[in-house]
Amino acid sequence: MRRLIWLLGLLAAAGWQHALAADWRMDPSGSRIEFVATFEKSAAPGVFKEFDTRLQFDPDRPAQSRLDVAIKVTSADMGSAQVNEAIRGAEWFDFARYPQAEFHATDIRRIDSNRYLARGILSLKGARQPLEVPFAWSESAQSATIEGELTVQRGPFGIGTGEWKATNVIGGEVKVKFKVRLRRAG
Amino acid sequence: MFRNTRDAWGAPAKLFHWLMAALVFAQIPLGWTAATWPLSPLKLNLFVWHKSVGMLILALALLRLAWRLGNPAPALPADTLAWERLAARASHALLYLLMVALPVTGWVINSAANIPFRIFWLVPLPAIVEPSKHAAELAAAVHFGLFVFLATLLLVHIGAALRHHYIKRNDVLTRMLPGGGART
Repeated sequence: MRRLIWLLGLLAAAGWQHALAADWRMDPSGSRIEFVATFEKSAAPGVFKEFDTRLQFDPDRPAQSRLDVAIKVTSADMGSAQVNEAIRGAEWFDFARYPQAEFHATDIRRIDSNRYLARGILSLKGARQPLEVPFAWSESAQSATIEGELTVQRGPFGIGTGEWKATNVIGGEVKVKFKVRLRRAG
Repeated sequence: MFRNTRDAWGAPAKLFHWLMAALVFAQIPLGWTAATWPLSPLKLNLFVWHKSVGMLILALALLRLAWRLGNPAPALPADTLAWERLAARASHALLYLLMVALPVTGWVINSAANIPFRIFWLVPLPAIVEPSKHAAELAAAVHFGLFVFLATLLLVHIGAALRHHYIKRNDVLTRMLPGGGART
């Protein structure tokens, strides 16, 4: 019995701790995920038009946080009908089999005053790889913005198979930039 | 001999002619192979070569045209008939036009298709039209049509040069050769 009370107490404490971390939902109109690939030594920019972000986050207690991002890979737009047609194929994103990518992180730590690092797992084209996502946090009365930039290697996710594995024509590194506006939920 | 004279081409005019000939004869198979090759890194590289050579041809064509306008061509042999003079003038004018129009329509295709491109992987080429699938397809059809026209004109041009040399036995062909002057 004494044990049970202890356990309940711990659970309550944990729940209370969790309750401190505010729930944030994405405002799509103020949010953007861009990426820049390399095509024959030229920058080839694109965007994911559809994605969603949820965040449980208290800037002063980042340890209690959780970041969940779902990206509709099929909403990728690289500004060229020909390129958009090519990237949907099995050698690239394989829209038919892997329409969605996800990033989940429960390990978020502060780097300095308003900058944080979310360490999680990116699931993309059926591959799961650890990924570190740095972001800057800014907060006003009812909204907040997270903003950051990172580099993702396409190889480990099998983006570009066969002849496309070589990185001299289409570069191996893809720069990703994001700005997500969040509103306090509830 | 630098400038053209009444009877002979100057060295710059000959250099322009043969450099352009070499580039055009490289460019045609490059473009054909690039367009028909299955999508692969090689195809993308062939296109970078084709587009880069095209921009080189455009620059060279404009310089050549400027040189030609400031340097009248040597006279045709005295016995050249009126229709031959007209045919020569028209075909040369059209060749100059195509040396500019083919690269420009290629540039339009690349701009409309919105494909990132650096000339010889170095110099970024700005877009001259807005991205548009329809415009890209239209420009590609025009580019191909102009290519067919150019191929036909080149056959006429080469055929006429050989006719001058072997049938009319004048110096029109030899005077364009490096070191070649009037026929002796």
